[in-house]
Amino acid sequence: MHPLLFSIIDNIRSLGWGGAFQLLRNGLVLGSLYALIALGYTMIYGILKLLNFAHGDVYMVGAFLGYGILTRLNGPLNLAIGIVPAIALMFAVAMAGSGVLGVAIERFAYRPLRNAPRIAPLITAIGVSFFLENSVQLLTNGYQYTYNPFELGKTGTEELGPLYHTVFSVAGNPVTTVQLFVVGAALLLMAALVLLVSRTKFGKSMRATAFDREAASMMGIDTDRVIAITFFIASMLAGAAGVMFGLYLGVTYYFMGFLAGLKAFTAAVIGGIGSIPGAMLGGLIIGLVESFAIGYVGGQWSDIVIFGLFILFMLFRPRGLLGSRAIQKV
Amino acid sequence: MSDQPNTPAPEQPGVEQTRIGVDSWVAESEDRQARTRGFFGPAARGWDASPDSVKLFLFIAVAGTLPFWMNAGDLFIYGLFTVLYATLGLGLNVVVGFAGLLDLGYVAYFGIGAYGYALVSSDHYGIHWPTLAALPALTAFTGLVGLLLGFTSRRLVGDYFAIVTLFFLQAFLVFTNTANPDIAGVGLTGGSSGIGNLDPLKFFGYALTSVKQQYYFFLAVLVLATAGLYFANRSRTGRAWRALREDPLAAEVMSIPVNRLKRLAIVMGAALAGLCGGIFAAIQTAVTSSNFTLNVLIFIFAVVILGGLGSIAGPILGAIVINVSFQFLQPQNDHPDIKRWLFYGAIVLFVALMKPWYRAVVVLGGTLAFGFAVHAIVSATAATSWTGGAVTDTGHASVGKAIADWVVIPNQTLHGGFDTYAYIGLVVLVCVVRSTSGWWRSLILIPTLYMTAVVWETVLAPSPAVTAEILFGVLLIVIMTARPQGLIGTARVEIV
Amino acid sequence: MLKKIGAVAFLAALVSVVVSTTAWGSAKAPRTAAAATKTVKCGTRVSIGVAYPATGGVAFLGALQIDWAKTAVKRWNASNKLKIKLVQGDTQLTTNAAANLAVAHSFASNGKVLAVTGPAGSQEVQDSAGVYHGAGLAPVSGSATRVFLTRAKTGKPRETSKGFFYRTVPNDGQQGDAVANFINKDLKKKRIYIIDDEEAYSQGLADQVQADLKKVGINASRNHVAQNVSDFSSLIAAIPSNTQLVYIPWQQAAEAQTFASQLHANGKNAIVMGSDGIDAPGQFTTHGAYVSGFPVDASNPVYKAFTKAHKGQPEAFGLPTYTSIWANATAIKMACKAGHGKTTRKAVRKTLLKVKLTAKQSVLGFPVKFLNTNKGTFQGPGDMGGNADFAIYHINNKGAYIRVK
Repeated sequence: MHPLLFSIIDNIRSLGWGGAFQLLRNGLVLGSLYALIALGYTMIYGILKLLNFAHGDVYMVGAFLGYGILTRLNGPLNLAIGIVPAIALMFAVAMAGSGVLGVAIERFAYRPLRNAPRIAPLITAIGVSFFLENSVQLLTNGYQYTYNPFELGKTGTEELGPLYHTVFSVAGNPVTTVQLFVVGAALLLMAALVLLVSRTKFGKSMRATAFDREAASMMGIDTDRVIAITFFIASMLAGAAGVMFGLYLGVTYYFMGFLAGLKAFTAAVIGGIGSIPGAMLGGLIIGLVESFAIGYVGGQWSDIVIFGLFILFMLFRPRGLLGSRAIQKV
Repeated sequence: MSDQPNTPAPEQPGVEQTRIGVDSWVAESEDRQARTRGFFGPAARGWDASPDSVKLFLFIAVAGTLPFWMNAGDLFIYGLFTVLYATLGLGLNVVVGFAGLLDLGYVAYFGIGAYGYALVSSDHYGIHWPTLAALPALTAFTGLVGLLLGFTSRRLVGDYFAIVTLFFLQAFLVFTNTANPDIAGVGLTGGSSGIGNLDPLKFFGYALTSVKQQYYFFLAVLVLATAGLYFANRSRTGRAWRALREDPLAAEVMSIPVNRLKRLAIVMGAALAGLCGGIFAAIQTAVTSSNFTLNVLIFIFAVVILGGLGSIAGPILGAIVINVSFQFLQPQNDHPDIKRWLFYGAIVLFVALMKPWYRAVVVLGGTLAFGFAVHAIVSATAATSWTGGAVTDTGHASVGKAIADWVVIPNQTLHGGFDTYAYIGLVVLVCVVRSTSGWWRSLILIPTLYMTAVVWETVLAPSPAVTAEILFGVLLIVIMTARPQGLIGTARVEIV
Repeated sequence: MLKKIGAVAFLAALVSVVVSTTAWGSAKAPRTAAAATKTVKCGTRVSIGVAYPATGGVAFLGALQIDWAKTAVKRWNASNKLKIKLVQGDTQLTTNAAANLAVAHSFASNGKVLAVTGPAGSQEVQDSAGVYHGAGLAPVSGSATRVFLTRAKTGKPRETSKGFFYRTVPNDGQQGDAVANFINKDLKKKRIYIIDDEEAYSQGLADQVQADLKKVGINASRNHVAQNVSDFSSLIAAIPSNTQLVYIPWQQAAEAQTFASQLHANGKNAIVMGSDGIDAPGQFTTHGAYVSGFPVDASNPVYKAFTKAHKGQPEAFGLPTYTSIWANATAIKMACKAGHGKTTRKAVRKTLLKVKLTAKQSVLGFPVKFLNTNKGTFQGPGDMGGNADFAIYHINNKGAYIRVK
C-alpha cells in the first residue's frame, strides 16, 4: 500500500485549494441527491422496519419518466415550451409516477407479508428490484439515454445551455445554475418533509405508526393508509432525485439505481436509520466522501473507501450518528 | 378433514402465512393426508415411508446415468450447471434457511474460492499446487473470510447484515475488476480480463478434462455436501439453528450461543461456496469478475427459495427446475415453437386450476373471443401497420399465421412506443386482477390474459434472455407472497 | 456430529475420487470431437451461431451487433440460394461469464451449426477456445481486440489455437498504435491523460496507448471510471488544467458526450479523443473531438441503408459483425460447393482462409483476407491482412465526422 499512500499525497498536493473547492462543490451536489434517496429509505425503514431494496430502482424509474416527458416536448434539443415549464412538468410527472409506483409496490409485494418473518419481505424486495431493473432493460434495450443538460434550452450561439451558466466563481472554479438548483431543491424538499413530519397531524400519525403499529391502529389511526402515503412520499422524493440527476448529468440507464441505492442506504444507516435529519446528514457525508475519494485516492477505490467507512460504523456505532439506541422489547 | 377452522380461503390475497395457535405437526397433517389420496397416493406413501438414504441413492442413480444419454454439450449445460447451482444453493441454505441470516454477498465467497484457485494453480504467479492441497486450502481460506465477516454480525440485526454483505460483494467486484493492485509485479486479480489458463483438477495423476469426468466429480461433491448437511440438520447444532431462526431472543435466553451459531453457519456456507468456486474455476479454466455478479446471486436465491428454505432436498430440486428451464429457454438452445407452446400451455394450465371448472372454461373461451374481436376491430379501423408486425421465431408457417390473426402485433419500426405502453398496461392489469375477487376477477382476467399474449409476442419473445431475468424477479415475489415455504419446504407456524 | 460427518466424508471422498478417476478417467475423447468431421448436408439452409451479449452491462453493444448480423443475413438471403439461419446465443458478458461457456457448448453440440460469429469479448474468446477447438469450430469475432489472441506473448503461446480463431476487427495493437502515432506526430501533444472505463476492451486499449506513448517519451497519466457511474465531476477535478488531450477509449457514447461537455463546462479545454467504441455520429458529437474508427465508406449502400433504418443514427461498433457473418457465409458457400452439397465443420474452417472480400463487400472500407502468418508487430494468423487499420475522424461544429487520417 506504500505507493498508494504516496499517490494520495501527490494528488492532494497537485489539486491544491482550487481542486479541493471543486471536490467540495461536487460532493455537496452529489450528497444532496443521496440525501433525498436516503430519506426514502429511512422513512420506509422507520415505519415498516423493512429495507426497501427496490427504492433505488424507483429513483431510476423517476429519471426515465422525466426523460419520457422531455422527448414528448420534442426535447432535449428542440424544446417546444420554455425550459422552466418543461422542468416543472418533468418534476410533476416523475414525482407522481414514482409515487404511484411506490404505493403499488407496497400494496402488492409488501402488504401480504406484513406479519411474515423478516426475511420474506427482504427477499421480495430483491425480487421487485430485479424485476424493475430488467423490465426497464427490456424496454430500453440496455441503451443509455441522455437529457443533454449541457445543451438543454440553448438559445442562439451560446456554447452551454442555461443549466450550465456560471452563477458565480470561486478562485476561477465555476458554480453553475444546475448545481445550485439541485442543492436548493433538495433542501426545499427536505425542509417540507421535516415540517410535514413534525408539525402536521398526519406527521404525528406517521410517527405513531413508526413507533408502534399495533398501538397506533388501536388509537384509531388507519395504519394501512399511513403506510401507503409514507411510501408515496418516499418514492416521490426518489423520483425527484432521479430527475435532478438527469438535469445535472443527463445519463439515464437501467442499472443506475443499483449503486445509487446502495450508497444512499449506506448514508441512511450512517446517519442513523429511522431518523430524518440523520438521513440528510448521512447523505451529505457520503457525497463528500465519494467526491474526495475519487479526487484524492482514485476512481477505482472510491467504492471500497465507502464500504470501509460503512464497516467501521457498523462495528463501532451501529445506531449511526443521529439514531437512537434501539431497545429490543421482549 | 379439509374444513378445519383457521384454514385460509384459497382465493384471498394478502392472507397471513403463519397460522397462529396450530402445532406444526397438525398444520402439516392436512397436506400429508391430501397427498396420500388420489392418483399418486401409493407413490407418495412409498416415498414418505422410505428412509432418507434410499432417496439419496435414487437421486444418485438417476443423476449418474445422465452422461450416457446426453452429449457433452447438453451435459455441461443441463448436468454440470445444475449440480453447481445445487451445491451453491445448499451452502446458501445453511446461512439463510438454517440460521435465518440474509447473506447477499454469498457470491463473493464463490468468487474468493475461484480466484484463490486461480492464484495457486496457474501461470499467473507460477504457483502450481496439487489439487489435493489447493481445494482444502481454498475451502479453509474462504471459511476464514466468512468468519471475519461474521464478526461484524455480532452487532448487526439481520437487515444490516444483508447490506454489509451486499456491499462486501460490491467491494469484491470492484477490487477484482478494477483495483487489481500490483503484487509481486503482476496485477493480483488480472483486472477485467481475469486470470486464464488454469490447471485442471488433477487427482493422483489423472486430470479431469472431459465434461463427463468433471460432472461425476462435482456430483460426488454434491452428494457429500448433502450428506454432511443432513447429519448437521439432525444434530443438536441443527436444532439450535432452527431455534435461532425462529426467535433469536428466546434462543439466547435458553442459553443457546446465538452469535457462535450464526458465525458457524456463515463459515459453513462460505466454505462450501469456496470449494465450489475452486472447482468451477478449474472447469472453466479461467476466472473473471463477471462470473460473480448480482445476477448469479439472484439465480442462487431463486434456487433456494423455490426449493424451500431450510430443507435439504429443496435446493437440489430448485436447481433442477430453475436451471433446466432457464437453459432450455435460452436463445442458443433454439426451440422457438416449443417455447411458444410452453408459454400458452402454462397460461391454459394456470386458468384450468381455477375452481369451479366452468369458470375456467368461461375465461379461456372469453379470452379467445376477446382476442379475435380486438384483432378484427383493429384491422378494420386502424392502419394496417398496427397488425403488420412479424411474428418472431415460428417453426411452422401455420402457427405464425394463427398467432398473427389472434394477437395484435404492430409494426415495430413505426410504432416504437407500443412496447412500453403495452408492458405497463399489462402490469397495471395484473395489479387490478390481484385486487379483485370473485366474478369480477374472472372478468378482468380475460383482457389481462390477452394482453399477456400481446406483450409476449411483441416484447418478451424477441428477447428471451432478459425475459428469463424478469421471470426470476417475479418468481421471487410470487413465491414469497403466495407460498413462502417453496415447493417442498414446510409451512412455518407461529406458536402463540 | 462432527465425527460422524468426518468419517462419512473421508470414506465417500475416497470412494468417489477413485471411482470417478479410474473407471471413467481413462483418456476418453469428448464426443464433440467427432462433430468436427461429421458430414452435414447443406441443403438450402445452414445455421451460423452468433454469440453476443444480449443481456447485461454491455447489452446495448450486443443489440448493435445482432442488428448488423441480421442485416447481413437479410442481404445474403436476398441474393444467394443457400440461405443462412442465425442461432443466437446470449453470452451475458459482465453479468454471468459462465453463460459464454454454455453458449459454446450449445453450439458445439448443435450439429446444424457450421460456423460461429463472436464471441464479443476477448476474455470470452479465450475461455471458450478449448470448447470450440474440440468441436471443430473457428469463431470469427467482430469485437475481440486483444492482441495475444492471435499473437504469442514472449515466452507464452498464443491464447487461441492457430486456425481456430479469426477476427474481422483490427486489434488493440493496431488501434493503439494508430492513436499514439496520431497524438504524437500529427497533433504533437505532450501532456496526455488517459481514462479507461474499467472494462476489458477499454483497459486493453488504454494499456496499449500508454505503452506506445511511453516509447516516444510521453508519460501519460492514467485514471479509471466505472462504466455505469456518470458523475465525472470529481474525476474532472483531478485532471490537471494544463492537460492537452484526454483519451477515453470507452464504449458508451452518451457517457463520453456527457464527460466531454462537463470537462469543457469546468473550464478545462483539453482535446477529447475516443476510440471505435464511441464512434457513433448520432450520439458523440462534441465539437473539436477526435475519434478513431473504421475507414467506412459513407457511400456504401449497406451503410446508408442501415443508417436510414435507424433514423439517421449510424454506428460502427457492430459493423465488423456484419463482415464476420458475410465471411462465414461465404466460407460455407464455398465449402458446400467444393463438397458437392455436403460439408464438414473442418472444411468450413479451412475455407475461411480462402475467403476474399472486397472493400465494398466488407463495408469496413478495406478488403478482407485472413492471415495465416504473423505480420508486422501486431497481426498474427487470424487477423485481417491488407490495410486493415484505423482511420481518425475529427468532429466539426455541426457534429459531422470528417476523416483526417
